[in-house]
Amino acid sequence: MPTITLNGQTQEVPEGMSVLEAARMAGIDIPTLCHHEALGAYGACRVCVVWAEGPGQRPGLTAACTTPVSNGLAVQTESAAVQSARRVIFELLLGRSPESESLRSIAKRYGVTSTPYGEGARHDLCVRCGLCVRACREKIGTAAISFAGRGQGRDVSTEFGALSELCIGCGACAAVCPTGMIRVKDSGGERVILRDDLTIARFPLLTCTSCRAPLVTEKFMDLRLQGLPDGQSEVLCLDCKRKRTAATAESFANIWS
Amino acid sequence: MATDPIDGILSRYVEVTGNLISLLHEVQSHFGYLPKDALYYLAKRTGIPITRLYSIATFYHFFSLKPKGRHEIHACTGTACHVKGASRILDEVKRKLGIEAGETTLDMQFTLNEVRCVGACSFAPVVVVGDRTYGEVSSRKISEILKKYQAGSDEPLAETTAKELPAPGSARKTIAAEALGSRSINVRVCMGLGGVAAGGAAVLKAFQELMAEKGLHGTFGKKCVDLVGCMGFCAKDVIVEVRIDGVLTAYQFVKPNMVSRIVDEHIVGGVPVKEWLSGPEYEQFHSKQNKVVLGACGTIDPEDIDAYCAIGGYESANRAISSMTPEKVIEEIKASGLKGRGGAGFPTGLKWELCRRAPGDRKFLICNADEGDPGAFMDRAVIEGDPHAVIEGMIIGAYAISASKGYVYIRAEYPLAVQRLRRAIAQARERGYLGTNVLGHGLDFDIHLKLGAGAFVCGEETALIASLEDQIGEPKPKPPFPVNKGLWGLPTCINNVETLATIPKIVKNGAAWFDAIGTGKSKGTKIFSLVGKINRTGLVEVPMGVALREIIYEIGGGIPKNKKFKAVQTGGPSGGCIPAMHIDVPVDYENLTAVGSIMGSGGMVVMDEDTCMVDVAKYFVSFCMDESCGQCTPCREGTRELYRLLNEITAGKGTLGHLTALEELSVVMRDMSLCALGKTAPNPVLSTLRYFRDEYEAHIHRQKCPAGVCKSLIKFTIDPEICTGCTACARQCPQKAIHGEKKKAHNIDQAACIKCGICFDTCKFGGVTKA
Repeated sequence: MPTITLNGQTQEVPEGMSVLEAARMAGIDIPTLCHHEALGAYGACRVCVVWAEGPGQRPGLTAACTTPVSNGLAVQTESAAVQSARRVIFELLLGRSPESESLRSIAKRYGVTSTPYGEGARHDLCVRCGLCVRACREKIGTAAISFAGRGQGRDVSTEFGALSELCIGCGACAAVCPTGMIRVKDSGGERVILRDDLTIARFPLLTCTSCRAPLVTEKFMDLRLQGLPDGQSEVLCLDCKRKRTAATAESFANIWS
Repeated sequence: MATDPIDGILSRYVEVTGNLISLLHEVQSHFGYLPKDALYYLAKRTGIPITRLYSIATFYHFFSLKPKGRHEIHACTGTACHVKGASRILDEVKRKLGIEAGETTLDMQFTLNEVRCVGACSFAPVVVVGDRTYGEVSSRKISEILKKYQAGSDEPLAETTAKELPAPGSARKTIAAEALGSRSINVRVCMGLGGVAAGGAAVLKAFQELMAEKGLHGTFGKKCVDLVGCMGFCAKDVIVEVRIDGVLTAYQFVKPNMVSRIVDEHIVGGVPVKEWLSGPEYEQFHSKQNKVVLGACGTIDPEDIDAYCAIGGYESANRAISSMTPEKVIEEIKASGLKGRGGAGFPTGLKWELCRRAPGDRKFLICNADEGDPGAFMDRAVIEGDPHAVIEGMIIGAYAISASKGYVYIRAEYPLAVQRLRRAIAQARERGYLGTNVLGHGLDFDIHLKLGAGAFVCGEETALIASLEDQIGEPKPKPPFPVNKGLWGLPTCINNVETLATIPKIVKNGAAWFDAIGTGKSKGTKIFSLVGKINRTGLVEVPMGVALREIIYEIGGGIPKNKKFKAVQTGGPSGGCIPAMHIDVPVDYENLTAVGSIMGSGGMVVMDEDTCMVDVAKYFVSFCMDESCGQCTPCREGTRELYRLLNEITAGKGTLGHLTALEELSVVMRDMSLCALGKTAPNPVLSTLRYFRDEYEAHIHRQKCPAGVCKSLIKFTIDPEICTGCTACARQCPQKAIHGEKKKAHNIDQAACIKCGICFDTCKFGGVTKA
């Protein structure tokens, strides 16, 4: 196992780990926006900036999430250079998304409360971390949303900004979105998935077979039921499922007694 | 929508994977754009998610989701065009058509595109309409050109004053003619983009027809009129070289109507036409150079594999494969000291060794011909002039690293280069130099041509790989490096065009020969495209270590109109500006870095006293802002903020705080951007701040643009002492802002003036002043 130094403390860390994972394992705090345990390293937001130096690593600032650990690597997570670069990166992000509560609160944790940037920029809540796009494509396997355009015009979008043909309404995109740019709204038996002003998709919700509460979309159910034997198509909400399990357990208990 | 065309296109592909960009090119070329229905149908047929097609179609600027006008106008705003006033021409087109760049007129007559370099830098500023290239365009001339297209004609006016040029690709193949009597006659017409753009095709045709007519053919079955690639000296195109029994005579600015006199008096009569000769300049331009890579360009027919073989072509590949081990080849390249010519300067032999050693049975070799630096056209010229040298370099490389498949990733903006390379690959395949059992030595290696689609970032190797894998051009963090994990996750070696074209020469002449050229750590020669405010524009190949002064004054002939040399920009958007105080710097990797610039791929844009350095920094930042993929924060948000700061300075609204902010932001972008595009985007800002801080300060403290470029800070006035009242300026003014009686001094209504500068260009008496 490689040995690295984190803020002066020597640590043994598993081979193949990133500096970010190693630091978090050691209880050292490094902020991230585009990182998610379930998805691979992406290296887009750059707020996980650290100073690293060692064999095969030119001394300098680097993104912790995409820098692999190696024997003899020395990492600083709070040096003056790190703090200064991190401040500028948070300021740049705030310049684009000044209204984002979550971004503001993370930035505040690192001492950034205002920004000189953003004049004339198009403002929205999106930090272009790509988590929604990657979750949809890599984890759900649907690719209902993707990045469109490039540079300043880069946006998360459905094809042609139309209602998505591919979305299954699972809501994974909204679950991983760090800023609330993507939302799931369930009301009146209907699910709407939104990217600020763009409606990604709209679905009627299937109801719980037992209590009739609105539950999931049909396309999502289809995906979940793939590979299961026929007949297991009952849709139960969590409450009813719990009740059903409890009832089954009770009937077993009766048999024994 | 008819789906047959798409079915037809699809039927030509065995596999869609790895060919998506090519497929979309074909669909767009069929429909003129990418119709929505076509993309949906393509998604259905291929199983590729529609979102991915949409993502690609909106990422690459070459693709359009909207129908285009009857005439497509590409206004070039590459660096050479920029310093020669391209933005004023673009403004004029916008004003005349009432549309912005990227838009189409309501009557569907015109689509206007701003393009960053078409590689015709010697004729800057350049505008391309349809397949016609117009060089040395002024705001006034562009109006005339537009007027004629508006009048409904597809063919441009013959008498337009702008240099009017047939399209690349319309070049006609040489008709073999034969020498007269016992004399050996050889006429070479430059048909690189420069030559083609200046009317080379018509000159070539005139020679062919006249010489056939005069019976100057017959006995030896030897070609006597050659189509050759770029001769380098684009400033005086069309260049024609006439060799009679080995005696060389060169003509410049040749036009078709000059051909008959050259044939009659010189070729038949034996007396050269004195007044059209190219003079000592031509000799001087070439004699200072050492053409290792460009040697064959301009001397052989690039469309004929036999011409290449006749000068020893493919012998190096043959020798390497038959008598050297792959390790020995790598040793030789390492010993030569060759470094990558694409920009980063990584030692080529070492890269090959790393790729050879990377575990894996399948490996790829990619030739990076995505020459995107505005103001640079070395790779285009090498491919157009000597495509087989690149192929031979790739064969040797493939043998060394043990690659079975090669790709050339080339800009779609270079149609002539694409056409010549495609032909060359087909010829090499036919001869058995590519394919299975290459040259009969058991090596299996073939080359596939892949077109880019208008994304500068795809010159970055991980983005290039993403593009080959049917993705948008998003760079990936390194490590892993492509030599270990590249295309489709397999070991991949990426080399630049010029690097690969150098390889056969090293194998032929030996590492020691190459090592002896150049300086301590920079070996061999380097090609530069010398453009901008310079008398002799064109391609220059010199040994590493030559002084910048020598390139600019002795080869380039100095600055036009005796203006003062201010700086030379090297390395494109990633490079820096070298000021007059460093004019004696030896041009090699180490010394250019020491003065705050880089070697880069070889762009060299000369700037004079009329170039504003703040404007130059703003120009490059705006280029990077447009070309940023948008993935990482420092590049996406940082380029926009740099641009805003520079824009405020050039508008006279800057403070000293702007300079501090520029520096702070630049450092973070350099340290923390994901790929080289973002990391180097601040270089032009940092280098101009280092050497031309006084210009920044003049904009800030005095609200003055010393070079008279920044519109907000200049004022056009008419000097009543000089003005003759000829009314020429008033008639040309698009705002009707110039008033006055005939034959009396005029004056400019400052409130109405938009500072387009047309009056300044129009006045023959120098009566309009700019301050």
